[in-house]
Amino acid sequence: MILFAMRLRGLLNDLKKRPGRYLFGWFFLALVFWGILAATRYGVGFIDRYPAVGSIADAVMQRSLEGLFSMLTLGVAFSVLTTAITTLYSSHDLPFLLSLPVPPERVFYLKVAETYINAALLPAIFTIPVLLGLGLERSAPWLYYPLALFSLLALYAIPVALGSFIALFLMRIAPAGRVKEISTALSVVLAAALIFGLRALRPEQLAAMSPEAFEALLQRFAEFRIGWLPTSWTSGAVWGALEGKVTPAIFILAGLSLVLLFLVARLAAFAYRDGWIRGLDSGAPKLDSRAKGPSFWERPFYLLGRGGSIMVKDNRLLLRDPSQWSQLLVLTALAGVYLVSLSSVEVDLQRFKDAVGTMNLMFLGFLMSGIGIRMAYPAVSLEGEGFWLLKTSALKPKQIVMTKFWHSLPLMLILGLGLGTSAAFLIDLSPTLAIASPLAGISSAFVISGLGVGLGAAFPRFDATNPSEIPMSAGGLLYMTLSLIYAALLTTVFAWPAWRTLRNPTEVLWLQSEGVLFLLGILLLTLLGTFLPLIFGSYSLSKYEPGD
Amino acid sequence: MIQVDQFAKQYGRVQAVKGISFTAYPAEVLALLGPNGAGKSTTIKAITGLLRPSSGHIRLANFDVIKQATEAKMNLGYVPDRPYLYQKLTGRELLRFLCQLRHVKDAESKAQHWLEFFGLVDFGNELIETYSHGMRQKLTFIAAMIHEPAVLVIDEPMVGLDPRAAIQVRELMKDYALKGNTVLLTTHSMEVAEAVADRVVVLHKGQIAAKGEMQDLKQRADENLEGIFLRLTQELEVVA
Repeated sequence: MILFAMRLRGLLNDLKKRPGRYLFGWFFLALVFWGILAATRYGVGFIDRYPAVGSIADAVMQRSLEGLFSMLTLGVAFSVLTTAITTLYSSHDLPFLLSLPVPPERVFYLKVAETYINAALLPAIFTIPVLLGLGLERSAPWLYYPLALFSLLALYAIPVALGSFIALFLMRIAPAGRVKEISTALSVVLAAALIFGLRALRPEQLAAMSPEAFEALLQRFAEFRIGWLPTSWTSGAVWGALEGKVTPAIFILAGLSLVLLFLVARLAAFAYRDGWIRGLDSGAPKLDSRAKGPSFWERPFYLLGRGGSIMVKDNRLLLRDPSQWSQLLVLTALAGVYLVSLSSVEVDLQRFKDAVGTMNLMFLGFLMSGIGIRMAYPAVSLEGEGFWLLKTSALKPKQIVMTKFWHSLPLMLILGLGLGTSAAFLIDLSPTLAIASPLAGISSAFVISGLGVGLGAAFPRFDATNPSEIPMSAGGLLYMTLSLIYAALLTTVFAWPAWRTLRNPTEVLWLQSEGVLFLLGILLLTLLGTFLPLIFGSYSLSKYEPGD
Repeated sequence: MIQVDQFAKQYGRVQAVKGISFTAYPAEVLALLGPNGAGKSTTIKAITGLLRPSSGHIRLANFDVIKQATEAKMNLGYVPDRPYLYQKLTGRELLRFLCQLRHVKDAESKAQHWLEFFGLVDFGNELIETYSHGMRQKLTFIAAMIHEPAVLVIDEPMVGLDPRAAIQVRELMKDYALKGNTVLLTTHSMEVAEAVADRVVVLHKGQIAAKGEMQDLKQRADENLEGIFLRLTQELEVVA
């Protein structure tokens, strides 16, 4: 308890020191929470009123809840591997805590709790409004709320404990110095499998179904159940609580999660010495006294001056750090899912194709903002504790921010242009929209890169142990909000050429004076959306002081 | 030359440094001494441009560290107390990178010379994450000196160094100052300060408790630096 109190005191001290930043973060979190709550209430109400669902509404919702639990549990499972290794073996405070006159198991109870919070807090925050919305819409008794929350927390404890077991196992068997690489690769494979698995369900088939076929599908969906999965126990416990009952499932869940967490903490305390040494050890160095010069691929970058040197350094760090290169694999998986989804759009009428193409601009914007949070937003924070080297060099903050922007842009541009052009071909758009689609991709690439790098510089996290931690901040939430607003704005702006195309599909708007004016407007929007955040980021970074 | 003029730094309601002034001249080693929490690190961080002064001015080689930051930093070499470096670069790659940022000519041969000087040649192509604390400290010294800056600022120079390297670094600091450069160091070791520094500035609770030439201070007090340091800080405690 003393160790937990110490952690809590640290958090409160940080809150006192930077109350504005916390308030800002809590405001955005409250906004997201409210959005999910409202959407859930609307969804539950819609299913209750949908005529084809009728008496199986409860079963459909229960299965949907199980589906949500399964997806988020898998999400926790693939993020917990690297989190567990970082928390159980690489924490800076571990040597200090283990030197205290406290049994090691108690230290590892704290560390397992930390792993749990780091891996499961966000999924829990996103699930709580769903359960709250369900309770409110169904006028649940008061007992429902604590029981549903308890079931949820117990459920997420299971993947945390299992992931920690795998992490402990890996620390024992993986080659020294390669533990983090192997666990990261494993996590990414799991993540990619999850994304492709979800896409394999092909939800677009639902649109082509007759009402009878859809009803039959709902019936099968309502009956489909794998009773031995913890997600089924959780939804069973939640459903029982909704009716004011305490089901045995909740005791099974609580028992299992507590036993697993206890066992993993005991095992970690038992096994940490060997694994810790393996985690620290990077293998025997192969001493080589030769004065190796720059590689051939570096030389073109040096023509760009100091910015080029930073890019060479960033490229090396990207390729050598598994927590960085693994982001590229996730990005490839996301782009793959997007293209597969587009290729399965089956509409015949040109007007429908153009309507789908217009809506697709928004999806393209969403996808780009999702990629940007991994590729552009962390760019400045990835300097890490070594930032003092740049700060004390003869570099202006503006140079640092702009270099990071130009380094992030090519990849974003390839994606934006590539996905925009592919969408035009795959959907077979009319000439005006066929040009609008890649244009929107280019604009998104610039704005998302500018927004990501700029806000990432304004809200740096040089102390993050993993790139995926960097966006978990007020700045990350602001980036997501602004980038999604931009995607919506871009779609709204492109609604005008889309409307012209729907009226006259053969018209090529861009050859007319109003089309050129429109392009100038897009150019202005892109420039403002790109450079205003970069200016803000440069200014904020110039004011940054260690300890902020 | 380092000119610190009425420098003050405030963190919220805490006044860490209260309007101090001193100058470190070319061709001298100036030691900044003081007990923990005296304001040494805050002063050093402000001199290197990592912190902005709440009031006052700091000039490096006659350039204001805030208004003419780029010019000032071209003349600066800095060794922090905790040598955080890019873990996934090799020693040689880090030095090449820093040389390019500072437009150092003949970077490869300079890197080779310094790696040999500190006995790191065999480890030059190894990732920094494999280095011991002392090896990182040595690499940080090379990174600070490879561009031959007019001002060298060192925060706790001996941390993590083996005895041989510690002697090397002492000689290095003295020789570097003799070439006409300015060396400012902070240390908790009175022995190091006595052996290396030409002048000292003693900080206590964010104010200058004493400053002057090492010989003058010793003659006036008729005791060694450690005794002077303890007496000064104790006197100020009583006054407070």
